[in-house]
Amino acid sequence: MEQLRFVLNGEEQQLEVDSETPLLWVLRDHLGATGTKYGCGIAQCGACTVHLNGRAVRSCAVPASAVQDANVVTIEGLSSDGSHPLQTLWVEMNVGQCGYCQAGVLMAAADLLQRIPEPTREDIDREISNICRCGSYPRIRAAVLAAAGAS
Amino acid sequence: MSTKITSMNRRQFLVSSAVVAGGLSLQLHSGDTRAGHHLGAQLSPWLQIYPDDRIIVTVPTPEIGNGATTQHAMNIAEELECDWDQVELAYADYREELRSPGSFAVGSIPFFSGHGTDHDRMFYALQLGASARERLKSAAAIRWACAVAEVRVENSVLIHDASGRRLRYGEVAADAAAIQLSEEPAIKTQAQWTRLGKLSPSKLQAVQVVRGTATFGLDVQRPGMVYAALKQSPVHGGQVVSFDADAVRAMPGVRAVFTLDPNDTPGSPVPVQSTFGLADTRLRSAVVVVADHYWQAKKALDALPVTWDNGLGAFWRDNALLQERQEQVLQREGGAVLTRAGAQQFPEKGQQVEAIYHTPFCEHATLEPLNGTALYRDDDLSVWHPAQDLAQAFWVAVDESGLQPEQVRVHQTLVGGGFGRRSMSEDLRVVVAVARQYPGVPVKVIWSREETTQQGAYRTAISGRYRAALGDDGMPAALHAEACFSGLQLNLGFTDMPYAAAGTIPSLRLSVSELPTHIVTGAYRAPCFNSHAFMVETFIDECAVAAGQDPVDYRLRLLGDWSPAWSQCLRVAAEKIGWDTPVPAGHGRGIAISNWPYSGSPDAGATTCVAVEVSVSDDDVLTIHRIECAFDCGRVVNRNAVEAQLEGGLIFGLNMTLNEGLTLRDGAIEETNFHQLPMLTLKDIPPMTIHWEALSGHDRFAIIGEAPVGSIGPAVGNAIFQATGRRLRSTPFLRQGLTLAQS
Repeated sequence: MEQLRFVLNGEEQQLEVDSETPLLWVLRDHLGATGTKYGCGIAQCGACTVHLNGRAVRSCAVPASAVQDANVVTIEGLSSDGSHPLQTLWVEMNVGQCGYCQAGVLMAAADLLQRIPEPTREDIDREISNICRCGSYPRIRAAVLAAAGAS
Repeated sequence: MSTKITSMNRRQFLVSSAVVAGGLSLQLHSGDTRAGHHLGAQLSPWLQIYPDDRIIVTVPTPEIGNGATTQHAMNIAEELECDWDQVELAYADYREELRSPGSFAVGSIPFFSGHGTDHDRMFYALQLGASARERLKSAAAIRWACAVAEVRVENSVLIHDASGRRLRYGEVAADAAAIQLSEEPAIKTQAQWTRLGKLSPSKLQAVQVVRGTATFGLDVQRPGMVYAALKQSPVHGGQVVSFDADAVRAMPGVRAVFTLDPNDTPGSPVPVQSTFGLADTRLRSAVVVVADHYWQAKKALDALPVTWDNGLGAFWRDNALLQERQEQVLQREGGAVLTRAGAQQFPEKGQQVEAIYHTPFCEHATLEPLNGTALYRDDDLSVWHPAQDLAQAFWVAVDESGLQPEQVRVHQTLVGGGFGRRSMSEDLRVVVAVARQYPGVPVKVIWSREETTQQGAYRTAISGRYRAALGDDGMPAALHAEACFSGLQLNLGFTDMPYAAAGTIPSLRLSVSELPTHIVTGAYRAPCFNSHAFMVETFIDECAVAAGQDPVDYRLRLLGDWSPAWSQCLRVAAEKIGWDTPVPAGHGRGIAISNWPYSGSPDAGATTCVAVEVSVSDDDVLTIHRIECAFDCGRVVNRNAVEAQLEGGLIFGLNMTLNEGLTLRDGAIEETNFHQLPMLTLKDIPPMTIHWEALSGHDRFAIIGEAPVGSIGPAVGNAIFQATGRRLRSTPFLRQGLTLAQS
């Protein structure tokens, strides 16, 4: 067990946790932030994507020890009121089906737009590798393109 | 107070109203007078309007992603003419159905969400909306001392044009509950609809989903909750022989280590009324670790020494053995003949076409792993669970708890992917069994992805043997086929295949046989149909090729004048892919058509016809250039939702065809996680277009989520044949030397 300190969505957190515990489970089980989803545990599906010091990471593969003093943003902190352009477009364009993967997709897409403000279709396809079992891919692509056009 | 209504299908039901929380509450009751049916004794509100104008619609179905719960509310809103922004959803409590039979199940069995536009359910929802609206208008007319006919409604506001007076629904909701109508109002004709067929609002859960506040099963939080990880017998049907709890008991957070034994199920104290029966919901022998946190439970479980008795299932050493044994069954030709016409002896004359096809076990891989949370105490049980069928879930919980039904409460959550995997609720049985052994605190049970994968209820493995004798005109004079099922058997799309139903083939013999294994199977998006469609549509293509005829023309001739709607789907898809234009060098085009769930009826269910263009490089890289989909589900109440289901269904079917197939290894499933379960991602998705020109307008609103899963695979396979001359008769395609080009 170790004392873990980091900033989650702008608020400082302090807790005692086994240093090997993946960030995913620190968020979900220890801090009750369940917007970040468990899908595979081996960084394959992307459902657990969060921003660690400004970059998208798969939190199931990040041990607690790696977030000491770090800045973590999850879907709950993408915006304070659901007004991030991607969030509003996701609702307007009815992107999600079951919705389970979408928090991870949104975090990956938000990271992409920070790095490449006007991504092409090829950029989107290459950079967002999250799994959506419902097959919402055409709408994910369309919504990210729309967000790029709007910015 | 209540008013009798006779529905379109002549079953009686009753509308009753009451004041709840100062607002209007409307209920439906069946006209059924079974014992224990006390009308109004317990409230089972389908629709509530509160003084603050909020409108709560109670849904008897889960939300698995197709928007069926939103659609149910839309159907009510069409007649209620309410402010959509005030509409909220609540899940039905199945116990209300027990207290007052018919409360929720009136033409509206709590079945998985595919039935949002179910004929009966739509009618009841529309009637409820109209009945509430007329009560509100009457209440306003009394308030204003005017005729009801002078009151109109608009967006949750009652308006008296002559005086300019207005009232919000919430302001007269309590009054409306006291209104006794002499008869319930007639619902609108479809031509009068202003929302259905015209508007496609966002799903009511969408805002919560994008903010991370939606509650899926895995997200349930209860005070004092602990976590459980489990491992069930890797070979289905096997048993725990021994385990060494002492080896992990001292690990951090560990609270308990125990086994689940299928023989310990207490059983329901009353006869169950589950949707699918309980036979396929038995526990699987398992070891369980309970800990303060899930990660601790999983680590301890991974470290727990367990000895298994694999049982008889270990006989099935690999996929080749299964395939070999299925083929042996087929060669015996001893299956039950379910469709027959003309001579039953297969003709020796004519050009012979014969093929054997295989489709494997497949895992649903819902992105939300199996899970559930339960609190068991001596005299009650609460469960929070992403079930696909509320009635099934409830009765499984009763059966595994041994408690009286009134002591059991199952709380429905959002469902992170269903595809049939969560319809039997055998996973919920596990959750209850764990909670029963760790009573007094809420336990969240989580299947790891590995456990979810290896303990599936998979797509049935099917082999099919197809034979045709072609006449002088190249058309089949005889078509004889047998399907051999290892697992759940459904014949939809096979024994009722349209080419049989159309009556153009003189000799037909379609039979079914079984080769049971220990592998647990279940409903998998368009169960078994997704295999039959692949085999039928590939075989018909093989017949066309053997006859030297165009595959589109061949299908049109086979269907004859059986269904202009089917023929139109073929023509539209063919036109969109440019069927009659020159094919670029190295490219091929393929087409396939199928219908769920009524292949044998010309104007029922949803027909999809998919045309694709592919190319295959010299080093076997497959490029899918375009997918064009025409469809006919009669009519549509929500265009955007229909398009989403068609897109998603095509992608699901494409993944199934290209990627999916589990591997048997000494009775166990070899795959564990997504590194072994390849899934299409954005880079793999070809351009696809949904075309509306074939929509017939026939008076039905058929469900659309399953149909496209059937036709995409054979369309791709047929195109690969046109491009390469290579006929793929089994899936997955990408394990047969092909790789998929990426964008």
